[in-house]
Amino acid sequence: MKETESTNSPNKTEKEKNSRREFLQKVGVGSILLSAGATGFQSVRALIPDVLYEASERFKVGHPTQLSEGVTFIEDRRLYVFKEGRSYYAISGACTHLGCTVKYTKLNQPKDIEVDGLTKKINFEFHCPCHGSKFYADGTNFAGPAPRPLRWYKLEQSPDDGQLIVDLGEEVEQNFRLTV
Amino acid sequence: MQFLEQIKKIYNKLTWTWNPGSEKESGDAIVKNILLHWFPNKISKKSLSWNYSFYLGTISFILFLILTITGMILMFLYVPSVERAYSSVKDIEFVVAFGWLLRSVHRISAHLMVAIVFLHMVRVFLTGSYKNGKSIGSNRPTNWIVGIILLLSTLLLSFTGYLLPWDQLAYWAITVGTNIASSAPIVGEKIRFFLLGGNTINQNALIRFYVLHVFFLPVLVLFLFFYHMWRIRKDGGLAAADNESLNQKPENIAPVKSKTYSLLGITKGTSVHVQTTMVNEEENSVSSAPHLIRRLWLVTLATTAVTILLAIFFAAPLEEAANPSVTPNPAKAPWYFLWLQEIVTDTTLKLGFITINGAFIGGIILPTFLIGLAIWWPYRDRSGLNSVGVWFSPERKKQNYTFIGICIIIIIFTIIGTFLRGPYWNFYWPWESWPMMPVKF
Repeated sequence: MKETESTNSPNKTEKEKNSRREFLQKVGVGSILLSAGATGFQSVRALIPDVLYEASERFKVGHPTQLSEGVTFIEDRRLYVFKEGRSYYAISGACTHLGCTVKYTKLNQPKDIEVDGLTKKINFEFHCPCHGSKFYADGTNFAGPAPRPLRWYKLEQSPDDGQLIVDLGEEVEQNFRLTV
Repeated sequence: MQFLEQIKKIYNKLTWTWNPGSEKESGDAIVKNILLHWFPNKISKKSLSWNYSFYLGTISFILFLILTITGMILMFLYVPSVERAYSSVKDIEFVVAFGWLLRSVHRISAHLMVAIVFLHMVRVFLTGSYKNGKSIGSNRPTNWIVGIILLLSTLLLSFTGYLLPWDQLAYWAITVGTNIASSAPIVGEKIRFFLLGGNTINQNALIRFYVLHVFFLPVLVLFLFFYHMWRIRKDGGLAAADNESLNQKPENIAPVKSKTYSLLGITKGTSVHVQTTMVNEEENSVSSAPHLIRRLWLVTLATTAVTILLAIFFAAPLEEAANPSVTPNPAKAPWYFLWLQEIVTDTTLKLGFITINGAFIGGIILPTFLIGLAIWWPYRDRSGLNSVGVWFSPERKKQNYTFIGICIIIIIFTIIGTFLRGPYWNFYWPWESWPMMPVKF
């Protein structure tokens, strides 16, 4: 180290000394902020799970012939599976407002509804207990605060054992039918 | 006899600060006792009066202490796991000696705390106590904002505690609550995922709420409380004292007695010295020890007694174990959120093709707006010094009416949500009976 670079050198001007001091101060404050940021980041990141031990979004709901005609409620997945003759479809039981489970409600007498210009006869509806949203049999919202229709999920038939498979990861249109 | 003397001596040593024998001892009592050192040496009679502050802030803190004590015992008895949470609460309720009382006191104090903290805010608003008086360095709007954060923390504390019993009530209140978060555009789903630690309400969610409830939020409240109290001193005591000083002759008291009593007296800015010009006037003030201390003990006793009595008469409910497939009908949020639940029911908007979920408007935009309004209010309030620390100042008439109006709307919605909503959130008068509902689908 050369003599002139020492901090005690009398040749150093006041300004030079100050700029070094300021620089070191910035380095210090910077390191503190950086380490605080890094610690903060890793702490929060640790709280976002990388592995979830949740049930799979794709699951089997039984053999098509085992399902009874009409509606079956898959309780632990909050899913209504419908069988109409040979065609099958699945509607989510989770209200699109705030996620309460909608109740399958039988109507006393069938009701005519108009969806996309077509008149349909329905004999049941879905009603939400939390905030009073109501949905037609096809999941279309018509009363209460629900902002959109109930979700429809894709049904497939398993190639190995012929059971129905629901895929909660894949939404489908209301005209979806699986024919077996 | 010797022994009795000894006991008496120890008793005196422990209690002399509550019961000082002279003016000097009364000053010493404040300075020498760690529990009392944050009080002023002298306090104005108006600050002390029952019907100015109603001691609502004090009551809030006592409730917080009751919650801490009962909560600590409950922590030994409760198991925060999905498999055992419900049965451990059931044990607390039916098997543990005095478990029902602990749980009931804990629950009632939590409800009371929400109510009292809210009333405290109403009191501060209606008396214009968020306004600065004449004293230098006073910054009451900051303390008002700290108060708002304390109110929100209180609500969060109560809400996180709601999930812990893992019964139907808990499960569905949290379902609705966290789905409100997910209704925010773009980041909503991510926030919900972070809150729950997953996509469903499960073990991750339970442990998160538990840690927030028993550690994170209480510590936050404690720190904010210390700051809240410290600011009161910095801001020149209760606003009532400022109001009193207005009517006083401007002459200062020559010797600054307080300097000898308190370390606070030699700090810069608003020292005790600055504020004592008025407080030291004999006819307006009394010594904190024993007068303030005595009242604090009284309020503590009364709060504890009322809490325990209420806890005995209103037992804490425990519904069936949480069942994700069956939503109780009606499913209601905790009462202090029912005004919001009522609003999220009514605010889904249809604008052409776009439908905005009522949860976003009623659950996020409206509360954010109200909090923002509350924070902004002290800065737009331009009323004069005469409106500081007096109930219903004529100058603040319009403001007070607006504030009371908002409160009344919130209270009306709360009442509708609590008493007038039945199955499917339909409207029922209290004298109408609810139709029988199938429990299962």
